Amino acid sequence: MQDLFSESLPEPPARGREATDQPLSDPRPSRRSAREAGRREPAPPPSLFDAPLSEPPGPHRDSVQAPLPEPAPPAGSLFDGPLPEPPAPADSLFEGPLPEPPGDLRGRGRAAAVASARPPALGSTRARGAAAAGFTYTVSLLNSMVRELLDGCPAVWVSGEVTGWKRHSSGHCYFSLRDAGAQVKCVMFRTEAQRLPAEPGEGMEVRALGRVTLFERRGDFQLVVSELEGSGRGGLWRVAFDRLHAKLTAEGLLAPQRKRPLPLFPRAVGVITSDTGAVLHDIRHVIERRAPWTRLVFRAARVQGEGAAAEVARAIAAFGRSAAAVGVDVLIVGRGGGSKDDLWAFNDEALARAIAACPVPVISAVGHETDVTIADLIADYRAPTPSAAAEAAVPDGRALERRLQDGRARMERALRRGVRCAREDAERAGAALEECMEALLRRRRERLGHVAARLDALSPLSALRRGYAVPLSPEGRVLRRTTEFHSAAGFRLRVVDGTVPCRVDGTPQVEPVPPTPGGT
Amino acid sequence: MTPESAAASLEQRLERLDAIVTALEREGVELDDALALFEEGIAHLRAAEQTIRTAELRMERLLEGADGQPDTEPMEPPAP
Repeated sequence: MQDLFSESLPEPPARGREATDQPLSDPRPSRRSAREAGRREPAPPPSLFDAPLSEPPGPHRDSVQAPLPEPAPPAGSLFDGPLPEPPAPADSLFEGPLPEPPGDLRGRGRAAAVASARPPALGSTRARGAAAAGFTYTVSLLNSMVRELLDGCPAVWVSGEVTGWKRHSSGHCYFSLRDAGAQVKCVMFRTEAQRLPAEPGEGMEVRALGRVTLFERRGDFQLVVSELEGSGRGGLWRVAFDRLHAKLTAEGLLAPQRKRPLPLFPRAVGVITSDTGAVLHDIRHVIERRAPWTRLVFRAARVQGEGAAAEVARAIAAFGRSAAAVGVDVLIVGRGGGSKDDLWAFNDEALARAIAACPVPVISAVGHETDVTIADLIADYRAPTPSAAAEAAVPDGRALERRLQDGRARMERALRRGVRCAREDAERAGAALEECMEALLRRRRERLGHVAARLDALSPLSALRRGYAVPLSPEGRVLRRTTEFHSAAGFRLRVVDGTVPCRVDGTPQVEPVPPTPGGT
Repeated sequence: MTPESAAASLEQRLERLDAIVTALEREGVELDDALALFEEGIAHLRAAEQTIRTAELRMERLLEGADGQPDTEPMEPPAP
């Protein structure tokens, strides 16, 4: 039995070795193998059985606290547990968990059984004595005791490459971890396996946290794995991400032309995030500052932890159903910053499909600038933070006010220009009118000139100019007939440049006057 | 104006305002027409400014009734 442990322990620390080596007649073979193993791993790992005392497995504590009889070996090692002569049976490491002693032991007489009914614990000095004394273990008992022994070991991290991964219909996963020289069977139970982002591929390098145990029915030594990490870049998360990414790409769901433009003036902005936390506060603050005429419609969903992806997907679907009725024109799926593992919900396939199926554009604000999630890729817009998402979702009221001011200025300018144009038109029209008037007047004046010339031609002045003269009475009356001339009174003769006083000298001679139509 | 339509009417006003500015800036608008457009534009402008300056953000919580009909209820702003 000694070899069982020293095989797997390249360099057992002094304390453990002390307890096991001393009584051994020939420890060499096991130590040689230990040295060989030690060559591959320069730094000696801690002993599986050297659990820190602060947190020892249950049976350990019992063995440590048990009153130790005479050749007290160092406490803390499993090998100390089964004491040669336990003072009280309850203190035996193996007593409690043993379901029932095998039948052959039960049949013995009570007096004889006091010392030997309890089988000698494996690894104890008494077990060596028992072999000499011919004590025979049943297979069940052996396996049961080995299991007990192994169950006392604390969980350890083991690195290796995965082979033969199988998921049973029960949800439990079975596989082996191996390196160049050895392999160990592993099981990952459903609860833990469910948390895996992806199943590791054949040959994938991983690191597993597990407890060693023995599957008694088969005698298989195995590691019960509670956590499994891919040790490559990004590990299993990367594997899961790449698989889903390839699938969605093949379906065309990540194509850039699928991205819908965000509305300029959403009637309401839908927000999905956790009920607590600063995300909702940040988004509200930004929308209130930029576009207070908008409405914010909120639906709470846990954004990390188990079940978060399904909750977010349900919330997206709820918005999808109600978008038209409630007036939600754009949707923000937000999350504050957090560790990369917390992002896993946003790499979920169902969530990705919910985003793709959403009838209104979706903005992702998953809050991790360096790690892109599937949700980021499938969303219509990826914002680095919730605040940035809100800024993308609504217009900026202050920019709109500037646009309004600009519109006012342009309208006023255009109107002033219109008025100026109209005035210029009027002035032009006035000038034209004036010109017309002047032309008219000119024409009139010209016509007047002609008329005047004609009138002038008819004027008596022109007759006087030609040499005619007109006799006028002293009163200024025109003297037309001989009878109107009186010798005593005298008369004046109007010539072109004045009048001449005249007298009648002699008797007037009458001559017949040809008749004229005017009578003058 | 109901809050439901605040965003939509703001959008419409801004669009109309843009059209008015473009029309006014075009050559050869009759002065009568220009004055009418200007007045309409100023009215939209004032209303839009009013909306932007005085609106208060409403927060609601999305619910789904038993019949699956979407509904919302008013919600208090979250604590900072």
